Amino acid sequence: MSTTDCALQIRDLEVRYGPNPVLNGITADVTRGERVAILGPSGAGKTTLFRAINGFVPYSSGNIRVNGVEVGSTRGRALRLLRSRIGVVSQRHDLIENLSVHQNVMAGALGRWSSWRALRFLCWPLPHELEDARAALGRVDLAHKLRSRTSSLSGGEHQRVAIARALVQQPFLLLADEPIASLDPELSHQILALLCGLAQESHVTLLCSVHQPELAERHFDRIIELRDGKIVADRKPDSVAVSAESNR
Amino acid sequence: MTAGLVSLFTLLHQFFPPEFSARYLKAALLPLGQTIEMAAGGMFIAVIAGFVTGIWAGARLPGSRLVYAALAAIRSFPDLTLAILCVVVVGIGPGAGMLALAIFYSAAIGKIFADLFRAADRHAMDALRATGASRLSVALFGMVPLRSKDILSYGCYDFECAIRASVIVGAVGAGGIGTELIGTINALDYRRATTLILLLIALIAAVDYLARIVKNRPATLWLILPLAGWAFWNDRPTMVAISHSVSTFLGMLPPRLPEEALARLPKILLETVEIAVGGTFFAALGALPLGLCAARNLAPPLVSIPVRRVLEGFRAVPELVWGLVLVSVIGVGPRAGIIALALHGMGTLGRLYAESFENIRSAPVQAMSATGARPLALAAFAYVPLAAAPLAVHTLFLLEWNFRTATVLGVIGAGGIGQALFNAQQLFFYRQMAAYIAVTWLLVMGMEAASSRLRTNLGLMERYA
Repeated sequence: MSTTDCALQIRDLEVRYGPNPVLNGITADVTRGERVAILGPSGAGKTTLFRAINGFVPYSSGNIRVNGVEVGSTRGRALRLLRSRIGVVSQRHDLIENLSVHQNVMAGALGRWSSWRALRFLCWPLPHELEDARAALGRVDLAHKLRSRTSSLSGGEHQRVAIARALVQQPFLLLADEPIASLDPELSHQILALLCGLAQESHVTLLCSVHQPELAERHFDRIIELRDGKIVADRKPDSVAVSAESNR
Repeated sequence: MTAGLVSLFTLLHQFFPPEFSARYLKAALLPLGQTIEMAAGGMFIAVIAGFVTGIWAGARLPGSRLVYAALAAIRSFPDLTLAILCVVVVGIGPGAGMLALAIFYSAAIGKIFADLFRAADRHAMDALRATGASRLSVALFGMVPLRSKDILSYGCYDFECAIRASVIVGAVGAGGIGTELIGTINALDYRRATTLILLLIALIAAVDYLARIVKNRPATLWLILPLAGWAFWNDRPTMVAISHSVSTFLGMLPPRLPEEALARLPKILLETVEIAVGGTFFAALGALPLGLCAARNLAPPLVSIPVRRVLEGFRAVPELVWGLVLVSVIGVGPRAGIIALALHGMGTLGRLYAESFENIRSAPVQAMSATGARPLALAAFAYVPLAAAPLAVHTLFLLEWNFRTATVLGVIGAGGIGQALFNAQQLFFYRQMAAYIAVTWLLVMGMEAASSRLRTNLGLMERYA
């Protein structure tokens, strides 16, 4: 696979908290536009992997390249620029409750905006900025919530606003860390379908960690299974499992 | 204009360099020790009484409303007003100061503990109550552990306040470094005044350091409490002339104001409000950027550590001492009062703001910084909105506090009702003094009621908890 096609390249990655490796010898290439499920029990290292890709966790050996940029050796402004193009959706509770929905959504643009523009937007949003927010919310079917209070959103809406915020980043890589952990099964399907649909639409690479194998089989192009910090399987979804799941 | 600036500069110049001769430092040690003793002794009583009354009012034991009302009522007397009263009743000396501190801080700690306990996590408390436990045991097993971090945090903060207050009460003859400071300023011995202020800053820094140890290792409290108890015993007021005290006290009743004083009252009150509101406004204005710079999770250590020291410096100098300096520099009047409150309040609020920023949940901040936001944008989009409720609560508390302080700043000529009160005391017009005390008390009480109503209406207390 040529490097230009490769959105994410991980080689022999090792991350340690203290003496114990949390991630050990992870190697994977992810093509542009690919939708990958990271499957594994709690403590398998899924969140750590995402945080390492984002440059929040240093790694002790190996390397991670996002769009050809080595994450571990990137600092300051360059790291901020890199992060501004990596969308993150995590478990609930990462929106700012005291900001309204449109402010939370446009926070996705903070990586591109100057500090003064950010302050001005808080006090005095311009019509075209609100239009951008409305458009992003429209893609997650929440355009009518533009001016709502964030604290009034339901769990599913909360998650969709977080997705809209990630979309405003115009990401080439989308990291979803257990986006459905606190949602019921029906909503889980909806959110995953939405994420995968949006990723396909905008040709964005998607990495999404989930607990439930059947959901991974159903929605994604590829499944990487993690256990105790190691990759135990890297495969295409099992068509038998999918049909068994849909026949139930 | 230039002439004004020049005279301002020459006046400020007189405060430097501070006098650091071994002889003077040695002489300053005695009042310094007296101040520590006074604060420690007062706080010894206050912590015990405050904890008991706080649990009582917080756990809604029988009569808790009455206890809470009494705490609020006592707390509404400014500490200096109490000290004036104590000096009149038990006589000049550190005993009077300690008594005033003990009374004031018992109420202050009791009330804040009661508020904290009442705001404890409802679900956890209900779970305990469901076991059939009595209210008192629910309080001891639920509220205290649930809020222990805040209790320690406020307790340490109050001790710092008490150290500053023990300086202030010295100003009206209760001994310690305050009496010494007033003496040097009255004697135009400004360089020694600077020395004393610097000593005071060092003392507050030491207390801050001690507070951090106590917060990390609460067990050290058992070492400090006996020492404080000893300090209390050392300074206990000597009630040699109880009959005199009683007759003096009775001489204040009934409070009465002469005609012309009554006519001037609205103007004095308005001036007091002006000082409190203006001081708080400018304090908050300065504290927001400083608080962000002092937050250890936002600013790099290279910024946060020096800013913390600057805030400590502003905070270490009591409003009254700022007032003394400012009155001698820019002259008598409410302007000195406003700037004094703003400077000290900036130190207090800046630190509380910084703590609020440090206490916010990190998940949303991390999500925000994952978008590649710049530090200033991160502050505006994540830190300030996430900390909005505690920021508002702290600012409202400062406003309440400043109302109290604005009523006493007049003692040193910075305008407001305090001036009238102090004049009446100096002239032995005790009935007039009592009237001013009553008016002060009503003003502070009214403000507190308004502020607590505002907090409830905005749902701030609930969200803060």
